[in-house]
Amino acid sequence: MVPSPPALELRGLTKRYDGGLLALDGFDLTIPDGAFFGLLGPNGAGKTTLISAVCNLIRVTAGELRVFGLPHDSLEARRMVGLAEQDVNLDRFLDVRETLVYHGGYYGMSRRRAHARAEEMMEVFDLRGKAGVRAPQLSGGMRRRLLLARALMHEPRLVILDEPTAGVDIELRTELWTYIRRLHEQGTTILLTTHYLEEAEALCEEIALIRGGQLLARDSADGLRQAYAADTLQDVYLRAMEVT
Amino acid sequence: MSELVARHRGLLALTARETHRVLKLWTQTILAPVISSLLFIVVFGLSLGGRIKQIEGVPYDQFIVPGLIAMAMAQAAYSNNASSTFQARFDRYIHDVLSAPMRTWEINLGLSLGGAVRALAIGLALGAVAVPITGVPVREPLALAAAVLALLLAFCALGVVVGIYAESFDHHMAVNNVAILPLAFLGGVFYSVDLLPSPWQEISHLNPIFYLVQAVRYGFLGTADVSYWLALGVTLACGAACAAWSAWLFATGKRLKP
Repeated sequence: MVPSPPALELRGLTKRYDGGLLALDGFDLTIPDGAFFGLLGPNGAGKTTLISAVCNLIRVTAGELRVFGLPHDSLEARRMVGLAEQDVNLDRFLDVRETLVYHGGYYGMSRRRAHARAEEMMEVFDLRGKAGVRAPQLSGGMRRRLLLARALMHEPRLVILDEPTAGVDIELRTELWTYIRRLHEQGTTILLTTHYLEEAEALCEEIALIRGGQLLARDSADGLRQAYAADTLQDVYLRAMEVT
Repeated sequence: MSELVARHRGLLALTARETHRVLKLWTQTILAPVISSLLFIVVFGLSLGGRIKQIEGVPYDQFIVPGLIAMAMAQAAYSNNASSTFQARFDRYIHDVLSAPMRTWEINLGLSLGGAVRALAIGLALGAVAVPITGVPVREPLALAAAVLALLLAFCALGVVVGIYAESFDHHMAVNNVAILPLAFLGGVFYSVDLLPSPWQEISHLNPIFYLVQAVRYGFLGTADVSYWLALGVTLACGAACAAWSAWLFATGKRLKP
């Protein structure tokens, strides 16, 4: 049997912004199909730049990016990626249902299929009561739910969650964990960035530590603890980032 | 047909979204410009028309209608696309489109068509009211259709380009207030450029909107200050330049992607 290509493969990924900032410097990373992968690092480490590169939101300076073996900028590759960004970026003119249905359209879903899937997503994320409410009128938690529902709307094989639980209450965080776990069990590859170390430890099979645009280490939480001779993931993180 | 639709569902969805925005805000996007243009027709055409009998054999109230419609449509196409594109960048919901499996020309076209829908709605509404009020004829409908297409090409693309470059709402408003509106007024909307003394007559021929007004006027009245083909050619050339600029921005990602 031919092994399936990795969900994500980055080779020599380099991004230098117009102002001169080198955000990623020859970055290599492979995430297997079906993995639950965490990306940890301080602000400015390059996590969001990496995600933006995969999702075609920045111009890459150098390197190769492949999604399930396909060039990341091909239409087929884009169709397989779902992104929930760290910052809320919802269309202010659309209500919840419209946000989901138009997103489905952008990703090639028929109108009928998009409506049916939007109903499913609203049910899963408890958004049905807000179906006709425009994004600016939603609470912070509801906006976060809608961002996730939108990212999953087109049933992507690789879901990228950039700080999905930042600023949400414990109840919603637990709900989201449950849903993301279920999604992973169904075979979806998850790439998660988070500042909550306990979240990374509870959810991720493998964790990469990144700083200054470079990969410092990658392993399971246990493997990282052993490698850094640390008792907790927090100690690992602090040692890796040399802030102790 | 269904295969074609399936291949371009992203484009159709984005066009639907842009049209949805225009229709959702119809009092601002359609009604307001229709009313302000009608006021021009009533105030300048019907009141001043009593004093200025004819220009080049055409009653004054009929003479100004084509230019006013062209001006309203051009401003609508431009401002719609500039504000929609800028808003999408400013709120970053354009990321949802840029990361989607859509070709760059589909994103460009989808963002452009909202302005075309808005401009056509305004043009049709103004025509529906102005034709019975003033009795302005449509002598060359095919020439008018070609002129309107050239207008839409130029100002829809210009709106998207400015929406991509703008750093604030003031920027795209400034292009409208400082460039488009004055050039439209000086482009012979209210007068025949042939009546101007030298050098103003020659200077007016450097104004690209002058040619747009003449092309649309020829479509309505069958007469214009310059040859229809020259007027259409200049308008199409401006449109092609704006469309090429817009296509280059989307193809390279410049200004859209850091």
